[in-house]
Amino acid sequence: MKILLALDDNPRSLAEALRLARERGATLNALFVIDSTWEMFTGHDWLSGCNSRIGFLEYMHTTEEETAAATAIAFKKEVEGIPGELLTVTGDVAEEIRREAEKGYDLLVMSSPFTRGLEMMRDTVARVTKKLPCDIFLVKAEPKK
Amino acid sequence: MEDKNIFGKLLAIVPGLAIMVGTLFVLRVYVEPWMSQVTLFGYKGWLVKVMSLNYIVMSILLGMFYRNVLFGGKIPGWAEDGFRTTRLFIKIGVIMLGSLYTFDKLLKVGGVAITLIVAFVFGTAIFILWLGKRLNADRSVSSVMAAACGVCGVSASVATAPGVRAKPVDLALCIATILGFGIASMFVSPYIGKLLNMSDYQFGAWVGTGILNSGQVLATCLAFNPIFAPGTAVAYGEIWNVVRVISIPFVVFFITAWYWKNEAAVERVSLSSIIASKFPIFVIGFVGMTALSSLHILGAEGSETLRVIREVMAWVFGVGLVGLGAYIDVREIKAAGGTPLKIGLIAGLLKYLLALIIILAFIPKEGAF
Repeated sequence: MKILLALDDNPRSLAEALRLARERGATLNALFVIDSTWEMFTGHDWLSGCNSRIGFLEYMHTTEEETAAATAIAFKKEVEGIPGELLTVTGDVAEEIRREAEKGYDLLVMSSPFTRGLEMMRDTVARVTKKLPCDIFLVKAEPKK
Repeated sequence: MEDKNIFGKLLAIVPGLAIMVGTLFVLRVYVEPWMSQVTLFGYKGWLVKVMSLNYIVMSILLGMFYRNVLFGGKIPGWAEDGFRTTRLFIKIGVIMLGSLYTFDKLLKVGGVAITLIVAFVFGTAIFILWLGKRLNADRSVSSVMAAACGVCGVSASVATAPGVRAKPVDLALCIATILGFGIASMFVSPYIGKLLNMSDYQFGAWVGTGILNSGQVLATCLAFNPIFAPGTAVAYGEIWNVVRVISIPFVVFFITAWYWKNEAAVERVSLSSIIASKFPIFVIGFVGMTALSSLHILGAEGSETLRVIREVMAWVFGVGLVGLGAYIDVREIKAAGGTPLKIGLIAGLLKYLLALIIILAFIPKEGAF
């Protein structure tokens, strides 16, 4: 069995994916998507000079990369003994998850609501499940304090 | 990612741009003239004259329809490059707007504009920094909201965020709040203006001071009166907009300095480097057009050159506003919440209403030009 975990900042989805992988002796791949949709999200910003806008987009990309690095460390610490790998890609989060899920997985594990990058503003689950080729296991996110 | 040569890049713009231009063409040439002739509730042209459904408002609404209904929430890849030209169109439009003024006219209105803008920009920023403390908001959230509500919405957030180490999640909520407030005020303000019988001068001054996002200031002025000429709402509102834009680096400096003053880590904040990196160059183009107009190089009022410039301006802005509508994702705005929403609603409403009261009390109906 092959499981794909879509990573966000909900620790419960990682815990559930690990539990499932251990119970079923499955391979667990985790996917972290660096959100590249900030340019589109800030499309209303038509007044900024080029330098200001480029500086902002670079800052967002750096922040996303720092989050990716921190997530990778946390994931590697937890996943010991389970076969699989951590994949990091850049793009539209929902599209990248669906694209990866099409590569022969049996189950996709993700949080609901999903909070990676700008997806906290969108209905990611609805976007991902559209034409999803495998089963999906949704993990309820813990309410923010 | 696919690398394209210059021809490929230009070709990629065509589909989205064709939608924007085609939409405006149909609205301006067929739909608005037809709606002006339709009699509803015993009033000829009720939709245009009473409901303010002119081609500008319809351009934004159709842009929103494309994004939220037709495209299912996301501009598709094949149209993305074309829609991205929105920023270029609006900037070109603003540069051309410079032709509506001469320096002596700007001087007449400039004093009032600068006084109101400085008072409201810094007043709002200081109020939000205080309010953020009362609401126990993160300092970076207060900083971004102070810039966004104080100056000109999304552009000010974008300019401030890196300097105050704003978290992406907070920034997303700030932007959604600002856009939601801006869009609501864009549709409501023209009715309030007409209900209170405001002149173009009063209306331009009000929305230029009170509406949070500069894109919506422009659209609201054109919804109130779609004519591009000296003395119209857009001519006055844009003076306010340009003064706001010029103030961005100064506000960013003020807020960034405030943010780092109480942080354990230290970051050197320099006004000159902020001006160099944040000053929007297109403002120089706007001033250049005003210089040409002041030197009568564009001809006297009523000349063929000015008529053509204003006609082109209407098309340029119209195309840009279809794109502006297509960048409004209703679902993203509905996700606004948390402390940014509280701060945005309190400060935004206060600024909007206070600006209305001050304009009605102190700004005469007769404009300076």
